[in-house]
Amino acid sequence: MDNCKEAVHRLYQYLDRELTTDEQREVHTHLSHCPPCLDLFRFEENILTFVGSTCRETAAPAELRDRIRKLCQDQGDPARA
Amino acid sequence: MTACCSERAVEDVQQRSSLDQETRTRLEQQALEHIDALYRTALRMTRNPSDAEDLVQEAYLRAFRSLHQFTEGTNLRAWLFRILTNTYINEYRRRQRRPSSASLDDLEEFYLYDHLIDSRVQPPDERPEDIVLEGLTFDNVIQSIESLPEEFRQVVLLADVEGFSYREIAEIVDIPVGTVMSRLFRARRRLQRQLYDVAVEVGIVKEVATDG
Repeated sequence: MDNCKEAVHRLYQYLDRELTTDEQREVHTHLSHCPPCLDLFRFEENILTFVGSTCRETAAPAELRDRIRKLCQDQGDPARA
Repeated sequence: MTACCSERAVEDVQQRSSLDQETRTRLEQQALEHIDALYRTALRMTRNPSDAEDLVQEAYLRAFRSLHQFTEGTNLRAWLFRILTNTYINEYRRRQRRPSSASLDDLEEFYLYDHLIDSRVQPPDERPEDIVLEGLTFDNVIQSIESLPEEFRQVVLLADVEGFSYREIAEIVDIPVGTVMSRLFRARRRLQRQLYDVAVEVGIVKEVATDG
């Protein structure tokens, strides 16, 4: 694949690992020959990774965790039946 | 299901609903491991900590009650997210004014990249993303995500935060895979626009005068 347009068209599917092995390789080969496309792909990947890891900093409050744990004890309690 | 086998069907249901205690406990433990992911998704969808806690609790309650319907060996995490999504739709969405998923699709494809290149202030050896990665705070990112219309926010959270595949998202949201892709790509475009606007707002990027 020498075509930048085609590579860019597949950018997100490539980054999301949703292409077939052959398609993945075609894009990869193009990127190894095309620094401008590589810059764009890297940029997009870095931004997506940044957004994802930033959002994953949020954890459930401890008291919610306790409440849910209690919930499943109640569910499994034979006395309820 | 025909009438002649209804008795048999009732037995089957009883059979299925009575998971043995060991299996139930194990599945419950596994389900609990996903509480952080479910909570942060609930929080971004409701944009309110107390609603998010209620939503997660309700989703777990539904999950524990229908645990006998879960097929072991399939994706428990996706199953839980599907329950969370359905619970959200039933319990919360109707309370909120439904934000329009306005057709702001005339945005350029790589909005953030193009605009950062145009407003290039960084030294030539620095990558354009460094401005964003080093300059935007946690709150800036959350603000950008939360400003997205609901259906866009949902797919970004599932794909980019939780790492679900297109197929898994299709099952969780109950839409075709093709719709997942188009919605996700549009959502990312919108998100990049938001990130850029925030970057301008906090002063790490100078707005480029647009022609015309």
